[in-house]
Order: sequence, then structure tokens, then C-alpha cells
Amino acid sequence: MTPGTGGAQTFPVPSHVALLHNGEAELRGAAIPFLRAGLDPPSQGLFCFGEPGVGERLLRALELSVGRDLSPEYRAGRIVVGQSDPDVDRQLENVIAALEAFRASGFTLVRFVGINAWDAPAFPPPEDFLWFESKLNEIISAFPVMGLCPYDLGRMPARAIAYGALETHPLVLSGGVLRENPQFIAPDRYLRDRLVGLPWLQA
Amino acid sequence: MGVYEIERSAPDLQRGGIAVIDRHGNVTWTDEVWASGDGQVYLPRVPIGTNLLHAYRRLPDPRAQAIANALSAVLEGTATYFEIEHRADRESQDSFLTSVAALRGNGAGAVLIHRPVGVRDASYRDRQSDLRTLDGPPVGGGIDRLTPREREVLGLMAAGLDNRAIALKLRIEYTTVRGHVRSVIEKLGARSRLEAVARAYRNGWVANR
Repeated sequence: MTPGTGGAQTFPVPSHVALLHNGEAELRGAAIPFLRAGLDPPSQGLFCFGEPGVGERLLRALELSVGRDLSPEYRAGRIVVGQSDPDVDRQLENVIAALEAFRASGFTLVRFVGINAWDAPAFPPPEDFLWFESKLNEIISAFPVMGLCPYDLGRMPARAIAYGALETHPLVLSGGVLRENPQFIAPDRYLRDRLVGLPWLQA
Repeated sequence: MGVYEIERSAPDLQRGGIAVIDRHGNVTWTDEVWASGDGQVYLPRVPIGTNLLHAYRRLPDPRAQAIANALSAVLEGTATYFEIEHRADRESQDSFLTSVAALRGNGAGAVLIHRPVGVRDASYRDRQSDLRTLDGPPVGGGIDRLTPREREVLGLMAAGLDNRAIALKLRIEYTTVRGHVRSVIEKLGARSRLEAVARAYRNGWVANR
């Protein structure tokens, strides 16, 4: 892994980082500098992902932050806004297709912010979402990606934090500090060690 | 026919019950006032004669639209019933499950169930499965309904492979895999890919974990 500048942070490339935050202000305080750091180098792409409308809102916040319209970058495919899908297979495919498109366009680094939801109509069911999060570790290993997955501690239920943020991300960013995550379970073990035993899937 | 569950759309529902609707969406019977915690998403009261589909469509909240979509699926015959979770005690569950079983035999267009949350014991699951089998596929087992290819796909799902990897492994088209996965989930009566996988492990249909 080679290091990249994750806004104020230095993230490995590739990386899959859980951002633990409280509320929208903290989210923007971390995600916007992270994305903004990718705007100047023309070799970097930005990928905002979430429920319908969420990626667009993040992009608007980024535009406000830089003080200009980012439509040209969006039209050029340098900024991509992806949508969640209740079908986990489609959601996974959407992410892979976007990363492949970045690679095909020659971008050497992609900054990915995937805003999560739990038990939401436009998102896969929780167990499928957890599988998706774990699977992302395998997917991004083939791409030059710095991925940031915000988890709002004030909104997400405890099991989303415990099983999702802490067990599917090798790194955790909290309070501005990036740490290796000892709770992380490698994707080749996560399905059998965790997912099939999730309490709400038991008879 | 599948089962369309929208319980994920209604995590905050506090009360509930059963309503029977005709094939046009009009309520013909209800056992309880429907209400929600916030009083916005769910209809505070559903008098007999209310067209539930229209009523939900008029509500601006996207979760209400999700309910309306589910209801449409029921009326169009692509789903047998749908469920909304709510909190209730065990006695209420028994009562409404029994009622639903009886009502479904009377040719109702659909039965809408507010299902209690936090009760996942075997007895409840079994009875829920019985209800689903009135019109749909069995969900207690279901492995015998899978084709050899679907069983193979289930095994690969349980090994953690995504659809692309399964397609490579079996040397078939991605879209074909996708169809197999959807079919496996539906035939097993699961709501999700991982629920199907968990069921496969639990029942010993795939190699022991």
C-alpha cells in the first residue's frame, strides 16, 4: 500500500476507512476536506455514494466549500454520484462499475465517500449491507481507492456501529485520529464468523 | 407468488393491527386503529371504506410511498401480503396471526399485518411460515425446490462469492447468475441474500462453517 493524502489525514491506498462522527457538521468537517484535496490534482476522481439525493447534497457542500460550480468535473466523469439500491447485488455492481470507469479514464486515485443508512428503504437490508461493506475490502483492493464510510453515532443503531463500522473497516477515523481497527474481521472470515450468526437471522 | 415485506420502512411504528382490503384497495375490515409514533407516515385512522392505496399515495413521506408500492404489489398479485413491524405483546401476536389465517380463507384482496418487532422465536417464525404457505412457496425448508444449478449457486453464495465471481466460477453470464440468486432467495422465502445464506448454513445445506 502506498500512502495518499486524505484531506488532513494520510490514508493508505487502497483503504477502507470508517468515519465515526456525530451529526452533519462533523461529517462535512471530515468528508469535505477529504474530497477537496482531490480536486486540484487532475489525476484524481471523486465518488460520492449514498441514498438517493445524499451524494448530490455532499457535492453541493463541496461546491460551497470551494466556491465554484463543479458541473464541468461532473460532466467529465471526474466526479461521480452513485445511488444506493435495495438490491445488494445491484449496489455492489454499481460501485464496481464506477470504479472501473474511473480506472478506464486513467485516474490514478479515487476518493470515495459512501454515506451509509441502516434499515432504510433505498438501502439493502442490514445483513446484506454488512456483506456489502465487508465485500468492499476485496473490491477496492484492485483499485487505487481511498474510501471513507461515515457512520453517524447519533443516528445509526448500536449494531450498525458494532457489526458494520467496527468489523468491516480495517481503519477507523474518529475525532480526527486515524487508527488501525483491532475489531476488523477480514472479508474471507466475516461471512462465516459473523454474518450467518447475526441475531436477527436466527430462527 | 412472493412475499413483499416492507418492515424496514416502518421502524418507528408503535401500534398496529390487521386490515382486510378488497381487490381495489378499500378497507373492508379492520381490528384496530392504525397509528404511528410520529402521526405522519401512517394513517392515524383507517375507517371501513377507506381506499388505503390512495390514502398512502397522498402522504408526502417516502416511506408512505413505499407502503403504497407494496400494497400495489399485493393487489396486482405479485405479493401475497406485506408486513409492518410494531411493538406488541405475545398475546396480541397470537391473536392477529390466528385472525389472519382465518381471514385469508375468505377471499380477501389482501391482509395487511403490523408485525411485532423483537419477537423472533421459533414458534412465531413457524407460524409465520405457515401463513406464507397459504398462497406462496414453503419457507420453512425450500431446498427441495431449488434446481441443481441453484443449489450450486447457493453454495457459492455461502462461500462469500459475489455474482461476478460466481459467473466466472461457473462460466456463465452475470445476468444468468443474477437470475439464479434471485430465484434462490425467493424459493427459500428469504428477504435477502444473506438470510438465504444463513438459512443454508443453519439447515446444513452447505458445508459446515
